[in-house]
Amino acid sequence: MHPLSRRRTELGLVIMAATITSAAYVLASLGKNSTIPPIIVPFFCILLGLLLVAHIATRILARGADSTLLPLAAMLHGIGFVMITRLDDHLAALQTTWSFIAIAAYVATLLVVQRTPDLARYKWTFFVLGAGLLLIPLVPGLGRSVGGARIWVNIGPIRFQPGEFAKILLALFFAGYLYERRELISAGTWKVGPLRLPQPRHLLPLVAAWAFAVVVMVGQKDLGSSLLFFTLFVVMVWVATERATFLVFGLVLFGGAAYAAFRLFTHVQTRVDIWLDPWSRYQESGYQIVQGLFAIGDGGLGGTGLGQGRPGLVPAVSTDFIFAGIAEELGLFGATAVLMSFLLIVGAGLRIAIRAERPFEKLLATGLTTLIGVQAFIIIGGVIRVVPLTGITLPFVSYGGSSLVSNYILLALLMRVSDSTSRRIGELPDDPTINERFAAWKLRRSIRRAERLEAKATGKTTSKTTGKRTPA
Amino acid sequence: MNKQIRRLAAGLLVCFLILFVQLNRLQVVQRDSIASNTNNNRAVLRDFDKPRGAIVTADGVEIANSVASTDDKFKYQRVYPTKDLFANVSGYYTYAFGATKLEKKYTEVLTGRTSEQQIRSLANILSNEDNTGSVQLTMRADLQQVAKDALGEREGSVVVLDPRTGAVLAMYSYPSYDPNVVAVHNNTDAQNALEFLNNYPGKPTLANAYQERYMPGSTFKVVTTGIALEAGLIDFDSFWANESEYLPPDTTNPIANYKGHVCGGDLREVFRRSCNTPFARIAVELGPQAMVAGTQAWGIGEKIPFDIPGAVASNFGTVEELQNNIPRLAIRGFGQDDDLMVPLQMAMITSTVANGGVMMQPYAVEATLDHNGGILDQTKPSPWKTPLSQANALKLTELMIGVVQNGTAKCCLQLANGVQAAAKTGTAQLNATGEPQRSHAWITAFAPAEAPRFAVAVILKGTTADISEGTGGVLAGPIAKTVLDFAMTLPTS
Repeated sequence: MHPLSRRRTELGLVIMAATITSAAYVLASLGKNSTIPPIIVPFFCILLGLLLVAHIATRILARGADSTLLPLAAMLHGIGFVMITRLDDHLAALQTTWSFIAIAAYVATLLVVQRTPDLARYKWTFFVLGAGLLLIPLVPGLGRSVGGARIWVNIGPIRFQPGEFAKILLALFFAGYLYERRELISAGTWKVGPLRLPQPRHLLPLVAAWAFAVVVMVGQKDLGSSLLFFTLFVVMVWVATERATFLVFGLVLFGGAAYAAFRLFTHVQTRVDIWLDPWSRYQESGYQIVQGLFAIGDGGLGGTGLGQGRPGLVPAVSTDFIFAGIAEELGLFGATAVLMSFLLIVGAGLRIAIRAERPFEKLLATGLTTLIGVQAFIIIGGVIRVVPLTGITLPFVSYGGSSLVSNYILLALLMRVSDSTSRRIGELPDDPTINERFAAWKLRRSIRRAERLEAKATGKTTSKTTGKRTPA
Repeated sequence: MNKQIRRLAAGLLVCFLILFVQLNRLQVVQRDSIASNTNNNRAVLRDFDKPRGAIVTADGVEIANSVASTDDKFKYQRVYPTKDLFANVSGYYTYAFGATKLEKKYTEVLTGRTSEQQIRSLANILSNEDNTGSVQLTMRADLQQVAKDALGEREGSVVVLDPRTGAVLAMYSYPSYDPNVVAVHNNTDAQNALEFLNNYPGKPTLANAYQERYMPGSTFKVVTTGIALEAGLIDFDSFWANESEYLPPDTTNPIANYKGHVCGGDLREVFRRSCNTPFARIAVELGPQAMVAGTQAWGIGEKIPFDIPGAVASNFGTVEELQNNIPRLAIRGFGQDDDLMVPLQMAMITSTVANGGVMMQPYAVEATLDHNGGILDQTKPSPWKTPLSQANALKLTELMIGVVQNGTAKCCLQLANGVQAAAKTGTAQLNATGEPQRSHAWITAFAPAEAPRFAVAVILKGTTADISEGTGGVLAGPIAKTVLDFAMTLPTS
């Protein structure tokens, strides 16, 4: 597909996402109050405007990128937003603000990150930043515990979950580190009995980084995130080294860690107990998940209709349990559409990874896609009782500024990798980026200045040659 | 690396497939079992977000309806515009404490959930029109109000029936309560209100008229006489010698007439004056077997087949209990001891006399209607028991006319416009040892005697000293008169 037709496709899909979201918004209002929302026209205009900003930014900054990622994210974002509006006006107002910030973050990321190899250079910076973000909630006075997990940070009026950003930084770190040392790690020159292991000095920083992240998260009782990081780590090492041993090793390690956590922490045991039998624990720990299951069951095939169910009965339905609300009001059809959207994002992301030529980009795209796919699986699976419930947001859908902004940043990075690949494989001319143009302009200006200084020194000669442009 | 990425893609696809399968299980396969989980109140909640039909009296007064709610908990608020007047008929409809009485029994109709209503509303499935049904009562709000005012703030009950059909025209019990205070959406308020009502003396939430039973006193002599007439034991020419007391077998404790009066004469005389000893003798002569079988023929001992849920059974006793205790059989023959009558049953007994010996099944719901006013189900009057022959019913009518013309009800039941009533009074002595003597005051009557349209039973509970002084006629009679006088002004149906 030609890159420009990709953008046309994206435009069409983005308009479709805006239309579907607006229609859902009207239906939710009709269902709840039997009135067409008075602000539907401005709502549609602002929504479309916001998405068009993202689309035009992509057109300018990453015109070779994948055409489906942005519309899919917009669709999920829209469904989530309608659910939140229908649940809580106050949260909806906040989420509107977060939506603006998220799109701004998307554009800013595309603007700042124009060449992916740059990212690899800063891997240790990312690691330090990521680790720092993970540690902030543990700082007394800044960190806040909400629902048992100490994953919140209060700075003045702003409250955010640093872990949502840390996951991207750690994916960047893993990609940067593994792309550099993957051969050394997979070579396995250290023989321990029948096993061929990588030299400890190659592996150790990686394991330390991972252990650090996991320990911090277990300390914060944020099981969802620690499961997400663990999976990210194992998948990236496996893909980087191309050795299934690491996958098996990772699974064994995971099994051990899970068992240890189960034995050591009562809150982990509780989660498992609830997962196995939430019904008999309805009065206490199982209440949330049972209410979620009631909501989902109530939805049936077609759902109760937007605004006509009672998702408000489910605790945390606008954040972790938003999928229960969607399954209730939109039914199996709507819930399947959400699943399909995530699956398509995963597909698009991994296609980007496969198309990418540079190992770093491959690893980065794989890592970022894994983050979205696994995060969606962990929380949906938790809500519908496929895996034990661990509190984590549903990317793009759940209420929450940190989650929304970080996932749009993640999306922008995926778009950047995709765009970079299409330039690299020659679909598009590899034009200089704005930064590079700026650098070239600065260079030319300094040359001119130098020439002018030189001319001053040698007396007035041909002033015309100074205006002549040197090819960048 | 591409091979690993493809495998990763396959792995994530499998993960999402598992989610999809589980979603299908929850939303399709296990849907019904999730819905029927005991903790799942979503069906109830749905009902509270939908309008609910009205319960309407025969004279067109809404006693229960739904209005738009002013709080945001539910969309509709159930209201009871007549407050305490029909509380024991409508019952209440609450979120946390369920529903009672007609609200409970007809919830399917009122919410439009009966299959008949579903089919009838198929045509307008896409329009916003609701399909809630309504319940049409046989009871009249005006008559009910008259009964309530006549009873005043005295514990007791007034029941008015149409003897020809068994239709309940009025049925009020004091104390009553305002169902609006229980139907509030705030659970704590509702719970407090319900607790207050449940602990309130006289149990307002229990309908005296059909959920409680009281010693009937002399009103029960209608039944004893009826049984004896049917058995051929007595007739108008039967005669009882004057006596002030009668000593039944196996006891040294004689039975006395009211205030120890000397009393006797033919059947008309002893019935009119309400002597005790002749009816004690009749019960003993009939024996436990015939008396128990006879009372059973009047539906006593059997749960009243009433369409408002919760009706209880009256009691006379069992053969086993009475065959070795003839003195108690004798006392029960004139309505004392463990002889216990539901006020509704007393009205039915009178109705039987008025209706030529046929006891109709009592009902308060005339019909259920769909959202367009089309009839879903109409109650057809049906006989329940036939304890009397027509001839004996006429004889009893004559005896009961005597009570009004020249007996214990002479004082108080002379109806307006010369309408002749037939009645029997009763004073049930609650001779609790060591306590001041208390009595329930009863009257049961029907009018007009020659072509009965209304049967009434009134009981004033023996909770205050002034009742112990009187006899049923003096205290309960005026209530029956007020109610019957008003009823006679109603259009003939």
